[in-house]
Amino acid sequence: MDIVWSNFFIQLIAFGILFWLLSRYAFGPLFSIMEQRKQFVKEQLEGAENSRKQAEAQYEEQKQSLAQARKDAYDIIEQAKHTSTKQADEIVHAAKSEATRLKDEAVKDIESEKNKAIASLRAQVSGMSVMIASKIIEKQIDDKSQEQLVDQYLNEVGSK
Amino acid sequence: MDHIFPEVHLGGIRFDLAAIFMIVITSIIVFVIAKLAVRGASVTNPTKMQNFLEWVIEFVQNIIGTTMDLKKGRPYLTLGIALIMYLFVANLLGLPFGIITHAHEGATFLGMTLDLGGEEEAHIAWWKSPTADVAVSGALMAIVIVLTHVEGLRRNRKHYLKHYIEPYAAFLPLNIIKEIAKPLSLSLRLYGNIFAGEVMIGVIMGMGWFGIPALIVWQGFSIFVGAIQSFVFVMLTMVYMSQAIVHEEHH
Repeated sequence: MDIVWSNFFIQLIAFGILFWLLSRYAFGPLFSIMEQRKQFVKEQLEGAENSRKQAEAQYEEQKQSLAQARKDAYDIIEQAKHTSTKQADEIVHAAKSEATRLKDEAVKDIESEKNKAIASLRAQVSGMSVMIASKIIEKQIDDKSQEQLVDQYLNEVGSK
Repeated sequence: MDHIFPEVHLGGIRFDLAAIFMIVITSIIVFVIAKLAVRGASVTNPTKMQNFLEWVIEFVQNIIGTTMDLKKGRPYLTLGIALIMYLFVANLLGLPFGIITHAHEGATFLGMTLDLGGEEEAHIAWWKSPTADVAVSGALMAIVIVLTHVEGLRRNRKHYLKHYIEPYAAFLPLNIIKEIAKPLSLSLRLYGNIFAGEVMIGVIMGMGWFGIPALIVWQGFSIFVGAIQSFVFVMLTMVYMSQAIVHEEHH
């Protein structure tokens, strides 16, 4: 095997120079960039985690306030129902009492009108009885004519 | 018909111009790829090239993660990426084409006399994988092995020294053999695979037109081999490193 020893040392020096150049100009910058990217990804992940937590907390808050609003609405409806029932009862009650009052008044009116009519009838009947009696006394001639007269006045009374 | 590599003598030292040439080209390609990837690099909106390089980085991180604690292996990440990129480009570089020139005795390159090995004339191959040269893959191996021993001594001295005489002092020769076998296997495996691939391409080229289907198949396989070898090299680097710096837990 023919070994050219100068190659050995030339390769040593050449690789040394290449290694120095690479680490100075290529890998050094690239390593720092890769490190920065690692940091960047870590930060992004942390940020994402934080915003996820925030979103969760807000969602929870929203859920609670929604439940609160539902409960309030239910309460209001319940109250309204209660109030309306009470009012309806009051109205019906008032109407009933009003009707009773009107009916009583009407009955009273009717009673008083009837009494008035009876009173006036009585007065007329008594007057007429007096007149009849006086006529009978005037014309007490015979039974026949008396009868005739009674009938006549009775008829008058009936026709009146 | 044999190809030789363009060699010159300078100050009494033999230089292989083709290997130097290819080492420089490979280094430039790797650096340009890496530089393109980080050009306009951004945190939130990476370019396609940036994604590619980040994929490579993660790939090497996974290799390190399978052999040792990723925190302990963090300092070797840059080494691993530089190695895998350099080896991948180097292994594949020799595949697509070759540059062969014809030279006569006394030919020169930039004023330097080419060594033709005593022949009157020769075909000179200028284009090859740098890792197809045993000295080049040996240099990469040396970087890794020296680093593992240095790191073992520096970060894990007690356990590192102790592991030579474990489980008993009598095992010292075996442990030393193991330490010698590591670099040999690391460099020779890489060199053998890539060199054999190039020799095979040369042989298939000799078949002429009939060789085209075989050449296509072999090129595909060589791409696979080149990728696997660069992966294996980095994998073994990290395994050796973890053996040197991580102490085994004894209960």
